[in-house]
Amino acid sequence: MEQKAMEQKVMEQKVTTETGQACLQGLMRTWFEFERQLGRVPVIQRLERGQFTREDYRRLLLNLRQQVVEGARWITRCASSFDRDFADVRSEVIGHAKDEHRDYEILEQDYVAAGGDLAEIQQAQRNAGTEALHAFLMYRASQPNPVDLIGAMWIIEGLGQKMASDWAERVDQATDGDGSYTRFMRYHGENDDDHLDKLYGLIDRVCQSTEAQQSIIRTARVVARLYALQLEEVDHHG
Amino acid sequence: MSVYITSTGHYLPGEPIDNDRIEEVLGQINGKPSRLKRRILQSNGIHTRHYAIDQDHNTLISNSEMAARAGQVCLDQSYLSARQVKMLSAATSQGDLVLPGFGSMVQAELGLSDIELHTSHGICSSGMMALKAAYTSLKAGEQPNALVIASELASRLFKATRYEAAGDEVDFNAEFLRWMLSDGAGAMLLEARPRGQCFRIDWIRSFSHADAYPVCMSVGLPTSANRLQSWQDFPTYAEAEAAGALLIRQDVRLLENIVKLGVDGCLRLIDEGLIDIPKVDHLLCHYSSHYFRSRIFDMLQQAGAAIPEEKWYTNLYTRGNTGCASIFIMLDEFRRTQPWQAGQTILCMVPESGRFNNVYMQLTVVCEQG
Repeated sequence: MEQKAMEQKVMEQKVTTETGQACLQGLMRTWFEFERQLGRVPVIQRLERGQFTREDYRRLLLNLRQQVVEGARWITRCASSFDRDFADVRSEVIGHAKDEHRDYEILEQDYVAAGGDLAEIQQAQRNAGTEALHAFLMYRASQPNPVDLIGAMWIIEGLGQKMASDWAERVDQATDGDGSYTRFMRYHGENDDDHLDKLYGLIDRVCQSTEAQQSIIRTARVVARLYALQLEEVDHHG
Repeated sequence: MSVYITSTGHYLPGEPIDNDRIEEVLGQINGKPSRLKRRILQSNGIHTRHYAIDQDHNTLISNSEMAARAGQVCLDQSYLSARQVKMLSAATSQGDLVLPGFGSMVQAELGLSDIELHTSHGICSSGMMALKAAYTSLKAGEQPNALVIASELASRLFKATRYEAAGDEVDFNAEFLRWMLSDGAGAMLLEARPRGQCFRIDWIRSFSHADAYPVCMSVGLPTSANRLQSWQDFPTYAEAEAAGALLIRQDVRLLENIVKLGVDGCLRLIDEGLIDIPKVDHLLCHYSSHYFRSRIFDMLQQAGAAIPEEKWYTNLYTRGNTGCASIFIMLDEFRRTQPWQAGQTILCMVPESGRFNNVYMQLTVVCEQG
């Protein structure tokens, strides 16, 4: 079931401080709202209804690739913006960046396996949503000690879970696939399980004031909206 | 103006049917025992339920008759006679007739004269929608009282012959609810004044998410629907039935969303200041299955909004899941059998998976002055 692993992590009570818990409540609500936003995006609605073609899937991958490529950049930028007081957080973020910085290669292989042309996906431009998302993430990652990016990771890792536990299977079912071209979605989720685990650990650590809580949730909301915009653009992008 | 629940009642048809006897009543599909039954019953935790049909598939009592019986039991315990009732607000997932509205049939059965009538349509949440319509009528000063009744007769949909008419193979989604739903009716009397110790309705709020999620529970879609084709689009009803379009089905893949959305609504109401978790003395939650109870509980706990297990009350396991009637039957049994006292807060929660509508209600126990 979708999000199950994520929710199981939630249940293990990893967040214990009062501010941390308030932050988690806000993050959970932001996630639920994000899922509803996704449910209103045409390409995702088609996927949910099973009226989704291999061409839709290729277009989805093509539009996701740029963000996946750029993902490694904002996470590494984010790591370098933490000073010595946040050395422990920096270590976590570096580990995360290392795990994911070549994920896009699997995504490209999936694109080719699904009948796409490698040159085409490599040359594709960012869509309008990706531009906005990337710009926002790089801007936030350039601020000193950008603890609010925990909120960005919450959304992006959560989505990785959703891809692995729900979307990958739906794609294969709708397009008669055998799993050979949904490896990015599936594999990405396996890793994200561990990442979410670490995220819970970070909430108590970085959310120690109301200001921190508000900025984490605000960033999560902005990232959710821009991610949804990126997916809305899938149908617009030439 | 405050609105009070001054009486409740319920009606469950026939004897309780235990898990071993379900197929005796509903019948074995193509003469074979179900392979899914044990698994689904294990997960929902229901031990006994009631059916309005017998093993020969005669309907022993109609849906509107059950509703009327529950309404009568409710009135018998109240200070009002049927003649004094000013409004009837009724709910069901499927009435005995397609038309007219269920409320009209219940009104006739109960012999209520000159009343204002409301029927709400939907699945589990329709009972709460009927309640809200009555509540707001009283709150606006339009009526001094209203009888609210929710009733379900799901078993007619579960006759083995229905599945046999829809083809050889029964898919999981179509069989799932056969082991979940059963029959019964519940009623509440609302008055604009308290009577003895009764429940004041503090608020009723709902959040519907149909725009963001596909249909999760339905009657009317054919088995191999690749678009929203209705049972009414077939040339004959016989063809609709053969295509499986008259089976009740649950898209179980989507069902998990109910947990998240249920918790999401709670967190919103906490944010709004309507729910104060430490002040909740009793939680009556209409979860369809024991499985979802622990999922909701755990998620509330991690969100820091846990309601201790001893505060949860349900009669799901003995009375069955009666759809929109469940919360009514639950509140009635709670009122008659559980220790509650003036000043206590009761939170009710009805998440519906149809296309995801979640309803919440808070009650305060009050004592009539003088």
